Amino acid sequence: MKSINRHARLPAIFTTMAILLSYSGTVLAVDDGARAYWKGRDGTTVVSFQYLNLNMQASDAKQFAPNQYIYPNADTEANVMIANWARHMTLFNRPSSLSVNLVAGSVELDASASLDSRFVPPGQTAGTAFSQSSSGYADPSVQIDINLVGTSKLVSTVDLMNYEPTWTVDAAVMLGVPIGEYDEDKLVNMGLNRWYGRLALPIKYHFGVFSPGYMSSFEITPSVWIFTENDDFLGQDLENDPLWQIEAHLTQDFTPTFFGSLDLLYRSGFQSEIDGTDVGDDVDIGDFGFTLNFQSTDNLMIRTSYSSNVFGDNDIDNSLLRIQFVYAWHPLSENQKKLSKGH
Amino acid sequence: MVNKTFPLVIAAMFALLLTTGAMRVNAQDTTQSSLKNRPNILLIVADDMGYSDLGSYGGEINTPVLDQLAQQGMRYTDFYVSPTCSVTRSMLLSGTDNHVAGLGNMGELNAPNQVGNPGYEGVLNKRVASVAELLQDNGYHTYMAGKWHLGLKPDQFPHARGFERDFSTLVGGGDHFDDGWNVEWQIPKMPYTEDGRPIKKLPKGFYSTKNYTDKTIQFIEEGRKDGKPFFAYMAYTAPHGPLQLPDDWLRRYKNRYDEGWDGIRLQRLARMQELGIIDKDANSADRLFFLPRSTAFTPAVRVMQGRKMELYAGMVEYMDEQIGRVFDYLKEIDEYGNTVVIFISDNGAEGNDLVRMVSGQPGSFGYLHAMNHFAESGHNSLGRKGTFAEYGPLWAQVSMAPFRAYKGWVAEGGIRSPLIVSGPGVKGAGGLNKKAVLHVMDIAPTILELAGVQHPDTYKGRDIEPMQGKSWVGMLNGNTQSPRGPSDWLGWELFGNRAIRQGGWKISWLYEPFGTEDWQLFNLTEDPGEQYDLSDKFPKKRKELIALWDEYVKTNGVIIGARSPFEQASKQLPNRVPEFDDYPPVRGIEAVPYKKLIELMSGGTEDKE
Repeated sequence: MKSINRHARLPAIFTTMAILLSYSGTVLAVDDGARAYWKGRDGTTVVSFQYLNLNMQASDAKQFAPNQYIYPNADTEANVMIANWARHMTLFNRPSSLSVNLVAGSVELDASASLDSRFVPPGQTAGTAFSQSSSGYADPSVQIDINLVGTSKLVSTVDLMNYEPTWTVDAAVMLGVPIGEYDEDKLVNMGLNRWYGRLALPIKYHFGVFSPGYMSSFEITPSVWIFTENDDFLGQDLENDPLWQIEAHLTQDFTPTFFGSLDLLYRSGFQSEIDGTDVGDDVDIGDFGFTLNFQSTDNLMIRTSYSSNVFGDNDIDNSLLRIQFVYAWHPLSENQKKLSKGH
Repeated sequence: MVNKTFPLVIAAMFALLLTTGAMRVNAQDTTQSSLKNRPNILLIVADDMGYSDLGSYGGEINTPVLDQLAQQGMRYTDFYVSPTCSVTRSMLLSGTDNHVAGLGNMGELNAPNQVGNPGYEGVLNKRVASVAELLQDNGYHTYMAGKWHLGLKPDQFPHARGFERDFSTLVGGGDHFDDGWNVEWQIPKMPYTEDGRPIKKLPKGFYSTKNYTDKTIQFIEEGRKDGKPFFAYMAYTAPHGPLQLPDDWLRRYKNRYDEGWDGIRLQRLARMQELGIIDKDANSADRLFFLPRSTAFTPAVRVMQGRKMELYAGMVEYMDEQIGRVFDYLKEIDEYGNTVVIFISDNGAEGNDLVRMVSGQPGSFGYLHAMNHFAESGHNSLGRKGTFAEYGPLWAQVSMAPFRAYKGWVAEGGIRSPLIVSGPGVKGAGGLNKKAVLHVMDIAPTILELAGVQHPDTYKGRDIEPMQGKSWVGMLNGNTQSPRGPSDWLGWELFGNRAIRQGGWKISWLYEPFGTEDWQLFNLTEDPGEQYDLSDKFPKKRKELIALWDEYVKTNGVIIGARSPFEQASKQLPNRVPEFDDYPPVRGIEAVPYKKLIELMSGGTEDKE
């Protein structure tokens, strides 16, 4: 009798095991997010949709970060939708993932009278305040992530059952494709009008018990963004040094379906140069925030997060609010559900 | 006259005083000398450990300490205990039948018609004197660490029944960690005593097997200065469920049991034959009729079930290592050579669903208790605090190979235990005795004889029952092969299941579907797996043994319970049908070796699980 009961629990276990590890897939809007590099079973597909509201006020000469323009003496608000598709797979016998981002939305800018003349778009008069906006698709991006250390392939249920990670190190390569909306006469755009990419080294340490309700992790992802030249920035050439970024998360399960995270994001570098002349200083922004993540069904997860800059340059204020829906599935777990419903 | 005689009188009186004093001194010297010559006794009891788990009994579990003990001493194949723990312990400490000693039934499960009757007190009653009491009164230090399960009241505590030092849990089982949650909701926290006083809180970082070992060593160390011998009773609670281990031991057997229960059981049977534990032509029990063939299940199921066995094996090895600490300590203080070590398990391996039994139905207090303290069941959580893993009948039948059934039943799988005896006076190092039919109630008379202590007719002013067990001393020193002759017999009754063994014959009456609810006759020499009922073939023998059963009932005051935890077993388990190795036929991927199967499942095939 006992064995029969215990075996009856298997579908639930399989479903949990299949989905549990699949809620990863980078976001690539501002940061990757907590548990972005947790591994999923080979064959798991993840689709997410997120809304971001970014507010930025810069009172001094500043630069911009990817997709978020921070101009000196200007306030910017962006409302962005990001659709992400990710697929967990095995490359070179290592757990890996491929993800694609589609970004769309709008950005509005209110510039003060003291905006640097080099940033004044055609039709606007230097020394006067103005507003400008842009909307449409931003540059899509694609990323490949592969685990280097700490995780064996996750192909079968057995692989998942034996999976108890401690230290893991990944390598991730992202490429942004400059096909987003871009108007060379506008100061703000959804697209960047240049190729860009990122190299990241996501590192995690899992502590506690790797079991739903008890999982904890410290995650740190150093990365560097690299940009090619934008040869038509208000009729000028814009070049940028690499942007160095460190993202860190301390995550903790509260229940088997609910976890939280403390988030840190620091960015520096990214010195701008317009027509060969430096503009402003390096970026120096340190954001601190938190994330709450609730798994509402075997497949669906709802996540919200907030962050704001708390260290770095004092002359900037920014905040980011995010709401995200993630839906993940694996054919086996879906088939299992079908079977459990009978024929 | 006075002057002449007075000095003589004084001299005579002085001489008398000197003589008397000298006799007293001599008597004391003799006692101390005698005490020094008497062996220490170390009685080690595992809890729910199976017959074939130890390496020296054919198991794959790493038990080097006990294996070495077996090399130094003797192993015995036909050693019997009771189907459950407290019942065995009552016989272990009293030397007489459980129906006499107060555990005619487990105290927790006394049937309505048993309550209040002599022998059914549910505790070690006062009709018997414990071996600890008798040893304590005869100059032994008496120590206990571990599971008592023979009474919850102060006058029933180990300290009150002869143990001068103790660190004991009074109940049958529960948390192995410092949380100390009991399996029974009625007593939510496991009650512990130390030296007769209840302990309010366990020390932080407590782990049962480790702390019981620490305490045993501590007791011996603190008591050894006076040179008196000791009797130490190490009643480990491992590997009783919940299967729990310290973190660094959790994955000691990682994936060792993934191949499934059938393969491991076959490997054990082969090793048991190599070791001579079972005869090559002896008939082993089939896989239990309600359990699936392991190859019928996917690797994931085997991994899930295997993890429970990993924990069990880890607990057994951990216990073995801790026993090694005690041996090392005894060697360090030069007492190992003067210590008789007896190692047993208390009953068959646990194949029942204890959590289900004690937690009951949703809405009950038991269920609430389980929800609060034992609900954690994640695959990677098992074995930690808050979990209650058990390995169930799938693995219990492996632990009890080659026998049938498991804890709770009087089939061989419930009542056979490994037995290792080593120490001074034990002849035949490394030997295996397959001739002797031994019983747990033999241990008390054996210990008393080793200690030179006579069992009295009265104790502290009350009449006490004689011991029914037979001393092994003659067998241990090589004079006899068995303390029992061909006409001697043994009897069992628990939960209404009953059995008699005489020589190689056994009759048993078991509730369906393990039995037929009628007497069955087995020849254990040829059929230790109790597969063939010979009742029709040997009706006379069956009748003879039934007559012995009647005598057993009469002698011991057995009352068959009006209720039994197994009375509904036939409704909970499927009907018993004949088992055939080749039915249903093994086909296709089911015949693929496990390692190859894993390769297939982990890539390179469309048939991913």
